[in-house]
Amino acid sequence: MNYNPAKGWLEMGTDHFRRVLMDSQNGSQRLFARLSMLILILITTVTLPGTSLAQGEDSDYEAVLELGRRVYEVRCLLCHGKKGDGKGLVGTIRRIEKNGRVLEIEARDLVPGVFRFRTTPTGCLPDDADLLSTVTDGIPKSFMPSHKKLPLEEREAVIEYVKEFSGRWYEEDLCDTIEVQKPDWVGHPDSIERGIEVYQEMKCGECHGYGGKGDGPKSNEIFDDWGKKIVPFNFATGELKRGSSARNVYITFTTGLDGTGMPSYEDSLNEEDRWHLVSYTLKLMNKIN
Amino acid sequence: MYGRFYSSLLLISGVALMTFALLAAVREASPEWKGYQSRYKELFMERAEGEFMEEKARAVDYGIRQIYLGDLDRIDRCTSCHLGVENPLMEGAEKPFTRHSGEYLKNHSVNEFGCTVCHYGQGRATNSKEAHGIDRETYWNYPVAPLKYIESSCAQCHDLKMLEEEGASSVVLGAKLFREKGCRGCHKLDGVGGILGKPLDGIGSQPVAYFPMRHVEGEKTTYTWLKEHFDDPRAVVPESQMRVVGMTEEEADHLTTYVLTIRTSEMPRKYRRLASVPPKDMTGEDLYQMYCIACHTTGEYSVYDEIFGRTIPAVRNPAFLKVADNRQLKKFIENGRPETQMTDWKADAAGLADSEIDRIVEYLAQARPEDRPEGFELSIDDGDQDRGKELFEARCSLCHGENGRGGPGFLGISLTNPVVQKAEPQFLLLTVRDGRAGTPMVPFGETGLNLSDREILDVVAYVRGMVDSVANGEQDAEDQ
Amino acid sequence: MSENSRSGIRKIIDNLKGLKSSFTGSVIRSGKPDSDMSRAAVMFNNFFLHFQGVKTHINTLRPNYTFGLGLIALFLLVFTTLSGILLMIYYNPSIENAYNTVKDLKYVVFGGNLIRNIHKWAGEGMLIFVLLHMARVLFTGSYMRGREFNWVVGIVLLALTFILNFTGYLLPWDQLSYWALVIGSNIAQSPKEITDMLGITGFFDIGGFQKELLLGGTIPGKETLTRVYFLHIMLLPLILFTFLGVHFWRIRKDGGLSRPETYEPSDPPEKKGGIFPSRKTYGLMALAKGKSPAVDKDVENTVLSWPNLVRAEAAVFVLTLAAVIVYSYFIDAPLKELANPLIPENPAKAPWYFLGLQELVSYSAFMGGFLLPSIALVGLGLIPYLDREQEYMGVWFSNRQGVYVTLVSFITGSVVLVGLLAIVINLGWFRNWWPDVPQVLITLINPGTIWLGFTVAWSLLVTRKTDSTRMGAIALFTLFLLSFVILTYVGTELRGPNWEFYWSKSQWPIH
Repeated sequence: MNYNPAKGWLEMGTDHFRRVLMDSQNGSQRLFARLSMLILILITTVTLPGTSLAQGEDSDYEAVLELGRRVYEVRCLLCHGKKGDGKGLVGTIRRIEKNGRVLEIEARDLVPGVFRFRTTPTGCLPDDADLLSTVTDGIPKSFMPSHKKLPLEEREAVIEYVKEFSGRWYEEDLCDTIEVQKPDWVGHPDSIERGIEVYQEMKCGECHGYGGKGDGPKSNEIFDDWGKKIVPFNFATGELKRGSSARNVYITFTTGLDGTGMPSYEDSLNEEDRWHLVSYTLKLMNKIN
Repeated sequence: MYGRFYSSLLLISGVALMTFALLAAVREASPEWKGYQSRYKELFMERAEGEFMEEKARAVDYGIRQIYLGDLDRIDRCTSCHLGVENPLMEGAEKPFTRHSGEYLKNHSVNEFGCTVCHYGQGRATNSKEAHGIDRETYWNYPVAPLKYIESSCAQCHDLKMLEEEGASSVVLGAKLFREKGCRGCHKLDGVGGILGKPLDGIGSQPVAYFPMRHVEGEKTTYTWLKEHFDDPRAVVPESQMRVVGMTEEEADHLTTYVLTIRTSEMPRKYRRLASVPPKDMTGEDLYQMYCIACHTTGEYSVYDEIFGRTIPAVRNPAFLKVADNRQLKKFIENGRPETQMTDWKADAAGLADSEIDRIVEYLAQARPEDRPEGFELSIDDGDQDRGKELFEARCSLCHGENGRGGPGFLGISLTNPVVQKAEPQFLLLTVRDGRAGTPMVPFGETGLNLSDREILDVVAYVRGMVDSVANGEQDAEDQ
Repeated sequence: MSENSRSGIRKIIDNLKGLKSSFTGSVIRSGKPDSDMSRAAVMFNNFFLHFQGVKTHINTLRPNYTFGLGLIALFLLVFTTLSGILLMIYYNPSIENAYNTVKDLKYVVFGGNLIRNIHKWAGEGMLIFVLLHMARVLFTGSYMRGREFNWVVGIVLLALTFILNFTGYLLPWDQLSYWALVIGSNIAQSPKEITDMLGITGFFDIGGFQKELLLGGTIPGKETLTRVYFLHIMLLPLILFTFLGVHFWRIRKDGGLSRPETYEPSDPPEKKGGIFPSRKTYGLMALAKGKSPAVDKDVENTVLSWPNLVRAEAAVFVLTLAAVIVYSYFIDAPLKELANPLIPENPAKAPWYFLGLQELVSYSAFMGGFLLPSIALVGLGLIPYLDREQEYMGVWFSNRQGVYVTLVSFITGSVVLVGLLAIVINLGWFRNWWPDVPQVLITLINPGTIWLGFTVAWSLLVTRKTDSTRMGAIALFTLFLLSFVILTYVGTELRGPNWEFYWSKSQWPIH
């Protein structure tokens, strides 16, 4: 070929290739060029979609977030706020208990990524299943409504969107969920007796009161992570926010309620003692005859 | 024949008969009061000084003393044991002989009034257990009242103004608490008041069996029942919807004293001493305190109430008053909210007179801000109910429930309530558009979630047409 | 000195000196009872004692024959009447005052509490002893041989005793009285169930009529109290004493108390003094009925009523009086709060003797309150006419077979009745199993009617098996008696608020 310095190497190469492909007198040279052209085309057509797939994953995730955002704006924004900081238009909700105490409730601030109702150990991020169950079932007594009529796809999408509010999901790994195996003797009178002892030993009464009415000596001095005053649970009201089965109570003890004054007892109590405490708690909530 | 058998039977029975007849005679001849009377005589003789007094002491003889009060239809025999009640020499003596405290007997002599008129108890009895009537076994409905409640008897004859001047502070404070704690918001008295609680007419004279005594911790009397149920209504009546009144121990005692003055029958005219000044008319604020304050408190915030299982709306909230004009307020008060705890207060239901409701409305209107909201321009008849339904399910059902009924666990009020649905459309439209600051109702218009006017119109049109599917039996209430 | 020769004044002085003997002689005209003649004269000269024969058969005096039950019932009636008369001095039958007068009796009147207790306990004790007396009469077959009508009179007296007790219960006008009256008036109204079913209440409202007759109006009130008081102190006592008179008259005319034909006293009474002199101066004139020579024996195994019978009666009198006084000394008649129509007693119970009836009423008002008691009374009244066997009169349980029949009837009856009650208490009855069952089925088939059917069937079975109407009568009465006792016990002790079953009063829920 002729070396023409005015043309770039690519141009020169393709010129040459074209000439070989079309005009070459050498049959085998022509054949070789056409064959390699064919192969090149084949390879490109096969691999190109592959690269666009990779790009599609990214754009699919975008679509999910977009769906989540739309759901969030319709259903969640009015309480949790545009920035997920819990300062939605709804503001403070007042609730008056049967004994006359007035509670002031605000929507959860999603930004720190600290959640109460998890099945992962304290300090960990919640599992996706935890978030999904909160969104699906709502939290009774707290005015987080149940969204179970929403299609699953939309719920999962909004969870993904919510995760965007906090940086923790990028920075931390997810922990393993805890194992829960309920023994048969939970609720047995002997277990309840031991539960009473554990209650005394662990000084639960300091906050929850020694009658379990949420009126312990320290109950007036508890603040959550956001600096707001919160009150310990009054067992006599009978219903826990996350559900009052033995399982749920056990999970509460084990994972703690992050962000509140309720710590995790995974390290300070062994598993059996935690179940004994569950028995006593259920008795205080009048769930055992 | 069988002579010995019958003779011995006769002998033995005769001995038994004689013994017990004698024992019975001795028992009849030495009743409890005789012992007290002889002791009194002793005391009197000890304390008597001077010829005159000593003779009086010697002249004390034995026998039941009774005071017959024909007008009051009673006989009081208390003075058979409480002999020193009018005797100045018995000041500070041992019980039961002490002189009556204070100067009350000057105007209320024992011979004219007896004792049970003020102190309750069973006047006809002649032994202390049954005269005081304390045990349930004495089957007496009005045991001697604890002294802290005794001012309830004063109010039978004297009006409260006079009592205030004379220093009967307990019953006066009790009356004030009754007016200011909103008791008649749930309890009717003289036919006027709410219907959530039992009517209070004659409550102070009800027999003990009227009150459920199972959970009462102290003595099972009317007085303890009343006091304990002020402290914690559900400790005494578990299914009660009565709100915790929030009083100190003394205040609860004062209120008990006042409630005990509400009796079925009046004292005969000759015993009463009433002032001639008629009571002043109640202002709107007084009326609000008497009937509304128990549930609505200050009215500035709405509260979800655990006992009622629903949200109590804010009635003196400026945002509310902006969109509800006086006519609408009056309708709300008159008609109440059927099937909720809000009573219908009109004259032929809970019994408030028209003028009284007007005064309450004026009082509420005092909190209305000056500026008027911008009117809603579209007409309600143009609303598209189908689109409204979609919007409702996406946006409103979170707080008001799937079928709009609200209720336990839901923050929003019931929208299927006929009073809400028949409210003026402007009221509903403006509420949705501008929200209700101070309550969880968010503005859905441009100041908030940015729904268009047309969308808001559609939602409200749907709400006004919503049929209560639970009341129609189409759906279970839990299935929201 | 002749009468005429003394001065008039002397005569008076002499008469005054002899006053004591002339006075006592005029009252007790037969002189001291030291001879058989004078002892006989005491009986037939005395107004109160002449009701009884001059001579009494020994069997009558046997304590373990009659146990003195009839006498006890009579004396209890006497005490009730006397104490009732005393109470009348203070009691006032108006609804404003009745309760207060009873309280005054309790607290102020000397002995008032004791007299009131005596009145209550003697009155209610009468029910028990009248029933026991009836049992004695039946088990000794003393309704035979001409005594049939006296049995019927006794049944009438039984009914009167119940009604008298009930009317008396209503007089204090306290909560017990008032709600017992409400129950009673509703039982009186029970035929309405049947007339409603037949649709004839518009024309023939016997139930409503009976209720209004009792209440003196449509609701319990002051007319009722007046009416009940009148019944209790005047009409019913008059009727009772009339029938009582007939009852005693018939005893005399029927030959005194019953005794077995072949009665042989273990210790035959000797003639003491007596009508016939002991020296025999005559020959055999005729053969008299009897198993052994009657020489030196008194006529037909009788003894003089004075002192034997009178001593026995005096002993029973004092015994009864002592028992009543001891009981009244320790246990007070109950009195609750003033009657309040707005506050029902729960459970609202009739007095204890009607609680067996109330238990039956809880199954069906008409059956339990009206028909079954009527059938029971009529059935009992018919016993002497359906059982005409006269062999074993005067012997407890007739013979060994009789003892056996009584025991077996008692055991079988108890088992069946307790079984029926256990079924209805634990499993309920028709209304619990088939809520829509027509009422007429329940009226016709309920534990009360089933028990009645069983009673009749059992007696018939016994009669057939033993070929003896006497045995049938024994069986029937045993079942009646045990059903009264068991049903009364169930109604008193085992029924609590809302007529629910509780093992004891301590388990009743507190209001």
